[in-house]
Amino acid sequence: MIGIMKRPLPLGRRRIAAFLAVIGIAALSLVAQAGSAQAASGTTLTVASDTEISTFNPFLAYFDGELNIINSIYPALTIGDAKNNPVGYLAKKWTTSGDKLTWTFTIRSGLKWSDGKPLTAADIAWTYNLVMTNDTAATANGSLVDNFAKVSAPNATTFVVTTKTPQANMLYTSIPVVPEHIWKSKVSDLKNFKNMDFPVVGYGPWQLVGYKTDQYATLHANKNFFMGAPKYDTLVTQYFKNSDAAVAALKSGQLGQAGGITATQFKALKNAPGIQTYQQAPTGWTGIEINPGAHTKKGKTIGTGNPILHDKKVRNAIAWAIDRKTLVTKVLDGLGQTGAGYIPSGYPQWAWQPTGTELVGYDPAKANKILEDAGYKKGSDGIRVDPKTGKKLKFRLGTHSDTTTDSQIATYLEGWLKAVGIQLTVQPMSFTQLNQDLAKGDWDILMDAWSTGADPTYLLSIQTCGVLPNEDGSGGNTDAFYCDPNYDKLYKTQIQQFDKSQRADTIRQMQTKLYDADVDIMLYYSDGLSAVRTDKTANYMFGKANAQGIYPLQNLFYNWRTASPVASKGSSNTGVYLGVGIPIAAILVAVGVVAVRRRATAADRE
Amino acid sequence: MASPNAVDPISGAEAVASVAERPRDADLGRSTFWSYFVRKFLAAVVSFGVTLVIGFVLFSIMPSDPVATLTRGRPVGAKQLAHLKETLGVDQPIWHRFLTFVGHTLTGNLGYSWQYRQSVAGLIESRIGPTLLLTGSSTLISIVLGLWLGARSGWRPGRPLDRISSGVSLTLWSVPTFWLGIILLVLFSVGFGPIPALFPAGGMSTPDYSGSTVGYVFDVIRHLVLPCLTLVLVVFAQYVTIMRSSIIDELGSPYLLTARAKGLRDDMVRRKHAVPNALLPSVTVIFLQLGGLVGGAITVETVYSWPGLGYLTFEALRTPDLPLLEGTFIVFSASIIVMNLLADMLYRVLDPRVRAQ
Repeated sequence: MIGIMKRPLPLGRRRIAAFLAVIGIAALSLVAQAGSAQAASGTTLTVASDTEISTFNPFLAYFDGELNIINSIYPALTIGDAKNNPVGYLAKKWTTSGDKLTWTFTIRSGLKWSDGKPLTAADIAWTYNLVMTNDTAATANGSLVDNFAKVSAPNATTFVVTTKTPQANMLYTSIPVVPEHIWKSKVSDLKNFKNMDFPVVGYGPWQLVGYKTDQYATLHANKNFFMGAPKYDTLVTQYFKNSDAAVAALKSGQLGQAGGITATQFKALKNAPGIQTYQQAPTGWTGIEINPGAHTKKGKTIGTGNPILHDKKVRNAIAWAIDRKTLVTKVLDGLGQTGAGYIPSGYPQWAWQPTGTELVGYDPAKANKILEDAGYKKGSDGIRVDPKTGKKLKFRLGTHSDTTTDSQIATYLEGWLKAVGIQLTVQPMSFTQLNQDLAKGDWDILMDAWSTGADPTYLLSIQTCGVLPNEDGSGGNTDAFYCDPNYDKLYKTQIQQFDKSQRADTIRQMQTKLYDADVDIMLYYSDGLSAVRTDKTANYMFGKANAQGIYPLQNLFYNWRTASPVASKGSSNTGVYLGVGIPIAAILVAVGVVAVRRRATAADRE
Repeated sequence: MASPNAVDPISGAEAVASVAERPRDADLGRSTFWSYFVRKFLAAVVSFGVTLVIGFVLFSIMPSDPVATLTRGRPVGAKQLAHLKETLGVDQPIWHRFLTFVGHTLTGNLGYSWQYRQSVAGLIESRIGPTLLLTGSSTLISIVLGLWLGARSGWRPGRPLDRISSGVSLTLWSVPTFWLGIILLVLFSVGFGPIPALFPAGGMSTPDYSGSTVGYVFDVIRHLVLPCLTLVLVVFAQYVTIMRSSIIDELGSPYLLTARAKGLRDDMVRRKHAVPNALLPSVTVIFLQLGGLVGGAITVETVYSWPGLGYLTFEALRTPDLPLLEGTFIVFSASIIVMNLLADMLYRVLDPRVRAQ
């Protein structure tokens, strides 16, 4: 039998139109489905993550975006309150022994991990022991337990820490506590454990229930959290790889809050409807460090630092030659404060600022006079000359090539120092290169920036003689080769002062010494800039803004828990429908054009 | 008459078929194919080896202090710093690192990322899908759009369509990708005037999405539109340009006259005869582009927060995270070399002149 192959008939225009109409209607129903499915059940707060997220393992996590989540899903002994003073979290109360070496914490009873197992002092002791004995577990928080001799949990509600020497900052050093029954089996391969078995068993205001690589983490509210349940049902922290996109997402309502925005974005958002911008007190400073003579612990000189800078008068003249107010106005767009004390004003309990005659302000005439009196006379080219060596006052200024503000600041510094007879050669370099040069002492002046948590111990420690490098150049952790035995004495005193106001006094004395040394010259403190959709979210910020409109330092642990949804006035999904509809329409048009063309050329093919 | 070396566009396929039907020639063809393949394959292996060594040397001379970068601003004591250095193998001498690198590459182990504290293979695996979705879809659209426009422009050079398509595509080609991305983002993800926000400002899907699978697919498409459009607008010009000039080269060919003499419409002459001959130079560019697909698109991924390999590489460079850089470098190099090998093989199919070599 001969089969007859029937060539399919070319579609007529009407058939094409009908076909496209059917496809179009089906697509539109999908569009509607896609649009309506946006609204998940319950209320969701979506915030921008501070950094990207790659692990939820609290023993390894470094990035802020990870730590913010970890602090919300695992408890700790204590936590900072709205003023960043430590208050009890798992610990209800505590006592210290007469020799100040033993701390006994009374732990809350009746708390349960999210899988229903009891949360007891044994979990705390197990976690702390792991950090003290396992090098991998110590990666993120090991330094906090360096001074611990032993920890124990004699019963379910008692946790005891014995320290090697008295440790005044004990209440600031809480580390995330994990459930022993879950983590015991993870210890053997802790290095590779990302803690992504969802839902993650923990305890806190939130429970981590999901994570999309490089995009967002999803958390559900713990309705039984003893401090009070979060007002939202779901929290999403989404990572935006650039702040312009985060701001766009905030404007379109995709995000409820975004932090870490730039001054330009902050000002642009100031009058945006439904959005409130807010400034937070600073937690860090930007400054320059001047090489006072790099040396090892035993005093051996190292590096290629210019010896002229060993002269305190030259460093002091540089401090007088800098117009910090202009930097705040021009570089920060006014959203910050001029620098002076070592600890920023975000921590008023420790901060110190010079007053009256202590203050080193902008006075080029005074800078010139200091240098003139010290014998540094100007040459014919306007650059001063060292009377001892005949060398010009020419210094290298190392800047971070990946930090925009560094190059802006450098331009100002060049001009201001030239006006007092000092020539700067700006050397932009990578963070790594700058750090390597710093450690070897191969620098004259470097841009520097630090921030701190509520306990300033670490920030103070990087100025002690004990962190200078060893004789072979290794093991150093110094910020700028500052070394003053009197400062070290005060450092040792403050760490043993259990009376907070006494400790604060000592820390302020240490700051006066740093200020006088002119090794680290603070340029400014930049405010934390954020914005929140107040038309959709209420009660996000806490505390009261001061006269300048600056809020106290915010803590996401509280922000996320206190934020509450504003009753919706019926938002439009038009954009979503169009957003899905446009690509579908484009595909349909393309298919239509091809079909019509195929019909038009069917005769040729035959 | 067509030159002896030119492809006979009308009877080319039949001619190849008739050649293939002759058994002795078929055997000969097969052995030629294998010797050609082996030659190209060995060349690819050597290229890969040389690329790896160059890559390792380049990355190794970069100043890097991952421990300082990772712990920047964190209260980490000297003991933990020393342990981190040991764990990450930062202190190992360069020859030791090279041997480890070669050993890892041969065994398919891409190492342990300093920055992300997890296996490099895992990091790449979780990001390769989104990258291929973005670069694959944009490349496909660019190729179709670019070749179509290029063929039409070249067929009637100097006409309005040619002027407009060449002008627009070259203008877009000259525009910095990140700039165009930001402009599109600000316009279409925030909305302007009466136009509402049409597309999301970033990511690959809506967080906390609770719709059906089909709805999720459309959600991903909605997220894909702007990054894909940005890439298409910037990239399609190269296809327009190459196709246009190739078509112009073919315009005077006698075989086109023959085709017209057969009574074919002008449109058919272009599509059936001119375009297939003009495609060869485009194939080179297409395969080069395909090889680079895995590399992602750093700027677009950054602007639209797309979870891809390009941004991962960028982050690895910032630390710098040498194991991660080396891992991504291996994958990118391998991808380009494999695609070049495929292009060489495909040339044999497309162009009988290569078969004759």
